[in-house]
Amino acid sequence: MKFFHSIRWRLQLWHGLLLVVVLAGFGFTAWRLQRATQFQRVDQELDRQVQVIFRAIGGPGGKPPGHPPHDGFRPRRPEERRSEPAPDRNEEGPPGPREFAMPVLDASLFADESGRTYYCVVWNRNGREMFRSAAAPPDVPCPELAVGSRDSRLRGTTRELFSYTPPGERFLVGRDIRDELAGMRRFAWLLASAGVVVLVLGLAGGWWVSTRALSPIAAISAAAARISTGDLAQRIQTADTSSELGNLARVLNDTFARLQASFERQAQFTADASHELRTPVSVVLTQTQSALARERPAAEYRESLAACQRAAQRMRRLTESLLTLARLDSGEAATTREPCDLDRLAGDATELLRPIAEEQKITLEVEATPTRCEGNAEQLGQVVTNLVSNAISYNRPGGSVRVKVAAEPGAAVLTVTDTGQGIAPGDLPHVFERFYRADNSRNRRAGGGAGLGLAICKAIAHAHHAALEVASTQGRGSTFALRIPVTQARK
Amino acid sequence: MRILVIEDEPDLLASLAKALREEGYAVDTAADGEDGLYKAESWDYDALVLDVMLPGLDGWAVLQRLRQSKKTPVLMLTARDTPRDRVRGLDTGADDYVVKPFDLEELFARLRALIRRAAGKTQNRLEIGQLVIDTAARRVSRAGRPVELTAREYALVEFLALHRGEVVTRTMLYEHLFDEDDSTLSNLLDVHVSNLRKKLGAEFITTRRGHGYCIE
Repeated sequence: MKFFHSIRWRLQLWHGLLLVVVLAGFGFTAWRLQRATQFQRVDQELDRQVQVIFRAIGGPGGKPPGHPPHDGFRPRRPEERRSEPAPDRNEEGPPGPREFAMPVLDASLFADESGRTYYCVVWNRNGREMFRSAAAPPDVPCPELAVGSRDSRLRGTTRELFSYTPPGERFLVGRDIRDELAGMRRFAWLLASAGVVVLVLGLAGGWWVSTRALSPIAAISAAAARISTGDLAQRIQTADTSSELGNLARVLNDTFARLQASFERQAQFTADASHELRTPVSVVLTQTQSALARERPAAEYRESLAACQRAAQRMRRLTESLLTLARLDSGEAATTREPCDLDRLAGDATELLRPIAEEQKITLEVEATPTRCEGNAEQLGQVVTNLVSNAISYNRPGGSVRVKVAAEPGAAVLTVTDTGQGIAPGDLPHVFERFYRADNSRNRRAGGGAGLGLAICKAIAHAHHAALEVASTQGRGSTFALRIPVTQARK
Repeated sequence: MRILVIEDEPDLLASLAKALREEGYAVDTAADGEDGLYKAESWDYDALVLDVMLPGLDGWAVLQRLRQSKKTPVLMLTARDTPRDRVRGLDTGADDYVVKPFDLEELFARLRALIRRAAGKTQNRLEIGQLVIDTAARRVSRAGRPVELTAREYALVEFLALHRGEVVTRTMLYEHLFDEDDSTLSNLLDVHVSNLRKKLGAEFITTRRGHGYCIE
């Protein structure tokens, strides 16, 4: 059942259940109260009638039974009380002074001002019926009653009030309450229909409230659905930003924005990478197509193959760089960190580049004091290699490259300084970006670097929680500084 | 036909130049934008092959500056092929586009079309009397029979045919048929003209003494 899983339907269900319980409780209580009030009123009427009857039959006080001192009947004397006779004496004996006598049988006694008909039945203490008014139903049972108390009962559609007279007769006054019961039924129906109306209104109101409360969720899910189909530019439109759902929408929008930016970066990166591959592929294609177009001397084939090889090596460098970056991005390469000597590492990497430096008449100076740090030796070596080969590539003929390693408080520092043309201030913030090249072209002297060398250095620095910074003066040269934090200062 | 190729990738530049020369073009090369612009402004090339990504002055800048003085047809070589890049190139004044990596055959075909359009022709068949020149196949036939021509000879015929009715000076011919690397002897042209007259008929190319040559 789908709608049992919908929050709105579940809310509605609970809301409805609560409403039904509250309304039923309220209605039932109201009905009970009304019923009790009704019976109380009837009982009062009956009570009044009892007095009327008592007065009519000539009791001196005219007081109703059960209200001592009593007396529609002769008061008992103390001696009589002592010589209380056996229960059947009244039956056998002649009508004594305690025997109930109904002197007047006036029908008007059994009706009140509003024309209601009452009836009256009297039993002696043995339960023998002594008197029965004309309107009394034939089957009125003698009530069981504790001596001296009074009570009332509902029998079918009649209400009866009964009590003991002091001598022990049971005196019952009753009347038909058909009208009152019908009124009660009408009242019950009224309550029920009012309850239904309130329930319907409540459910409708609840539906409206839940719709309103859940409408941001609908907006959020619609936006999320649009985004999941690929339109990353979509955002959740929310009017209110202060509610919980508004907050959620804002958080989601931030997430979407970051997702989009990351996707765009990724797309840009992929596009740049494929553009980088296009030129070497073009070389291979033109070289091979041109070489295969006709028969050629062996020297020309060799030349073509050499060009293809250069292109292939360029592609290999590019794919290696891409792979390195991908590994650094995924964080899988950052796991192995061990103590290493930065000075030795820098010296080794620099020595490997010395032949290239000499070829370009560039002096390589290494000034290293023993410096230890935590890190991945291979990656740190690559940073040195990249920085130094950049410094050689972008140098002027006859210039120099200075590599310096020193331990500073809290950090191991590697600096590479060149005497090249420097970096324009406008390019400076971008030099670590992937595929960024200061002059928007491939730099041939750098051996066809794709503009990833510094980006790789930055990624490695990031993996080591190290800072890689650049300072440059145009025309004088640049200095790259790698600062690896060291937990305890070492000499 | 003389073409200037401006491309900074040396291997690509070399192979393009070689392949174009084998196609019978005279080819000049430039490895960066400044050199390329200088050459393009100094000579009347029949077409330019221009890479977009160049050190120093990039392809867009070269094109923009060149268009201030020359109408040379320009074929752009680009690694970026988004519609925005193409629109930008065509708006700047490029005549056509080839996206890297490309097929040499396609590049040749586009160059031929470019040169043809620049000469005001829309077909790759030129007919002069009984002579038919197929610029796509680079073949010449006379009265239905193919005529064997060397690449240089063909280039000479094609150039004259594309400028039919005009007097083509020797300087023009030198400029369009020989590239900067040719150590041309001044009589090399006369040799080619004389060979052509033997193959196509003496009256085919007329000499305007003191001016140049002409195909009527």
